[in-house]
Amino acid sequence: MSINTIILRNLKKNLKNYYLYVFALIFSVALYFAFVTLQYDPSMSEAKGSIKGAAAIKTASILLVAIVSIFLLYANTIFIKRRSKEIGLFQLIGMTKNEIFRLLSLENLLLYFGSLIIGIFIGFSVSKLILMVLFKLTGVEGIASLHFSSEALLQTVIVFTVIYIFIMLMNFVFIKRQTILSLFRVVSIAEGKVKKLSILEMILGVLGLALIIAGYYISSLLFGGDFTSMNELFLAMVVILASVIIGTYLFYKGSVSFIASLIRKRKDGYLNVNEVLSLSSIMFRMKSSALLLTIITTVSALAIGLLSLSYISYYSAEKSAQDSLPSHFSFTDKEDAGKFTGSLQKEGLEYKEKSIELLHVDANMEDILDVNLEEMNFDSPNMILPVVSETSIDGIKLSPKETVLTGYNDALQKFMTLKDSGELEFMGKTNTIKQKYLGLKKDFVLPFYFTSGGLPVAIVDEKVYEDLKADLNPELQDEDSLFIGVDMKSDSDIEKANTLFKEMEFSGRADSQQEMSTRQKMNMGLIMFIVGFLGLTFLVTSGCILYFKQMDQSEDEKPNYTILRKLGFTQGDLLRGIQSKMAFNFGIPLIVGLLHSYFAVQSGWFFFGSELWMPMILVMVLYTVLYSIFGILSVIYSKKVIKDAL
Amino acid sequence: MFVLEAKKIHKSYGNKFNRQEVLKGIDIKIETGEFVSIMGASGSGKTTLLNVLSSIDSVSGGEIKIEEKEMTRLKEKQLAQFRKKHLGFIFQDYNLLDTLTVKENILLPLSVSKTPKKEADEKFAAVASELGIFELKDKYPNEISGGQKQRTSAARAFIHEPSIIFADEPTGALDSKSASDLLNKLSDLNQKRKATIIMVTHDPVAASFCSRVIFIKDGQIYTQLNKGDQSRQAFFKDIMKTQGVLGGVQHEH
Repeated sequence: MSINTIILRNLKKNLKNYYLYVFALIFSVALYFAFVTLQYDPSMSEAKGSIKGAAAIKTASILLVAIVSIFLLYANTIFIKRRSKEIGLFQLIGMTKNEIFRLLSLENLLLYFGSLIIGIFIGFSVSKLILMVLFKLTGVEGIASLHFSSEALLQTVIVFTVIYIFIMLMNFVFIKRQTILSLFRVVSIAEGKVKKLSILEMILGVLGLALIIAGYYISSLLFGGDFTSMNELFLAMVVILASVIIGTYLFYKGSVSFIASLIRKRKDGYLNVNEVLSLSSIMFRMKSSALLLTIITTVSALAIGLLSLSYISYYSAEKSAQDSLPSHFSFTDKEDAGKFTGSLQKEGLEYKEKSIELLHVDANMEDILDVNLEEMNFDSPNMILPVVSETSIDGIKLSPKETVLTGYNDALQKFMTLKDSGELEFMGKTNTIKQKYLGLKKDFVLPFYFTSGGLPVAIVDEKVYEDLKADLNPELQDEDSLFIGVDMKSDSDIEKANTLFKEMEFSGRADSQQEMSTRQKMNMGLIMFIVGFLGLTFLVTSGCILYFKQMDQSEDEKPNYTILRKLGFTQGDLLRGIQSKMAFNFGIPLIVGLLHSYFAVQSGWFFFGSELWMPMILVMVLYTVLYSIFGILSVIYSKKVIKDAL
Repeated sequence: MFVLEAKKIHKSYGNKFNRQEVLKGIDIKIETGEFVSIMGASGSGKTTLLNVLSSIDSVSGGEIKIEEKEMTRLKEKQLAQFRKKHLGFIFQDYNLLDTLTVKENILLPLSVSKTPKKEADEKFAAVASELGIFELKDKYPNEISGGQKQRTSAARAFIHEPSIIFADEPTGALDSKSASDLLNKLSDLNQKRKATIIMVTHDPVAASFCSRVIFIKDGQIYTQLNKGDQSRQAFFKDIMKTQGVLGGVQHEH
């Protein structure tokens, strides 16, 4: 038998064994190629929107390469270890290490570049679909057409060839370093030795849990007003990150086996088959892959968190546009508004117009601010608030001594909590007017550019308003002191009005609510697309890695299955045990990852939008479902092993 | 009263064109409480016979009755059920689960049959102290010696008081001291508990501990030796002689 026949036979055998590796390879090539194709696609320029968008896509493609190459290198280490016996055998029959290396390289070359070609082909055919998804997300109306980009092809081939060279280098080092004897033994060394739980491990186990819980606890306080200065906030974030990540590592290293051994202790040696297969195996095996699991957990938490946040932002685009611009169309110039309403009339579109005059007044809020000012680094308890008269707002009637604040966003509320009642002072140029503060209302009445990005608007009695106006400090005033809002009477007219709006030119500031929401959707859509893309790649690759690990373990545990079946456990019994083992092996990293991301999202979601649960749960469910597929695949593989075991 | 009766067992491997007959019609009867050895050269089919008798492998022809129950027609599930209640196993390479402690390993068969925990603990204490491994109960298999491992394996085979215990070369991996220790314990348990033991071995010393030795050659029973009232030494010599004839090997006696 010549070397060529050996290569071909090996290839055939390995293809059957490593179909998922091949699948993962094809998948990553396809994803990468599709992504790069998008990058070079001319129709993308609109979706990218700006230089920032293009940069985001470029960064994403680099991250994609990083994920894919780490995954491929890792998968390769698993596979080369599994084939160490075969390599030892070749050496035993007299092949030199170089010959073996050549054989492996050739075999890998066929496997690898075969997958590369298939992957590029698939990537090309799905790129249109992906482009359509992107267009849908960003709201860009374009026709997704198929372009084969030779630049993308070249880039993909170069990237994957470099990865291939790295893999070969790793194999080379691996083969060079081994003696025949150690090659036969490598599998048994790879998994940690079974030992009794040491006291150190117990301490680490408890510490791991404590660190994670502490991290969660601090994260729930993060924006609750306990950390008020920027430095403290930053420090708190670093502490959270460190304690959660280290905690996760210790959790896998110690806590899991600690908890498992507690359960076993309680059973006092009397284990049923589920516990035999799940508890005892997890106890010893999770430790050896603690670092890997920590990385997988942290990155999936990151992916879920980012995806949730961008989805929250995307999901609440309309709502936040409504908060920023309370009317469908906002103007600061009377003429502009007149021009616009004129053309609305011409088109026969019914609308409502309102105009609000406003002042900017220095207000002393000391009495109603519910924070410690020194910690906040506030120079003084004074803020420049926009003030409007009660006559411009419907449904409010105030006495000359009363003031109501309105329109206050969640993010600012976290930093600057206001009491329910109290006193505040308006300080004009010469006089100070004392007012009773009646409370905070949710409605937004002025566009965001009047409110310094999120301060509430003060509503006062007409008389007080006139007094303040007479005693105005001109230095505090903006260029514009008038807001004209145009609302369409029927929602179906907004689209038409918006088209008119876009065609016109205005001299002053003019905004359309719909434009704003579309713009935010476009930005967040692109981010969501990129995060989703990276998240998906990461999910598939980490799922594959866990699957490979399980595959490896099943082979290792085959003798155990034989014993158990001889003792009289049926295949069904064993399968049930395997299922619970897989539930742990996949479930623990998944649940820990979900918890991490839940607390991360929970602590800061209000910066991104107004709806938390819907988007977050959707993202999490999707992630869980995709993840479970790998768990099910592992169970199916183990089923095969169990069947062959007797 | 026969605990096991096998009639005309045939077992062959391979397909229509390339058939290899390993067992060619073997009849065996084993009485309750017997300690029987099966001996034979490599390739004579002794391990296959054990596997077939213990329902791990299926027969190609013939019938096997254990406690009057016909085994050959049972389904895989029923067989597993049967194994867990009526059979115990000891193997050459111990076959202990190395992620479980000694006690957990020994208690496995009881957990299969869902024995109450208290009863299980009592049984464990009894069998483990008889085999002298009670103190090792919280150790893992890689922390104890080969002889101790094999005694753990034996304890696991005995704990649920099966009708028959099958032992496949139990002393194969042990040094001579541990081997005779183990065999002494096995014959003790055989007498005290009236446990039936069927052991495959090619070590004449191990076989001399038994009450009967069955010799197999090329898939058929060649001859049988009964210990009767003779001493172990005399029985050992008989076995050596028979083995010499069987293998065609010349011995200097």
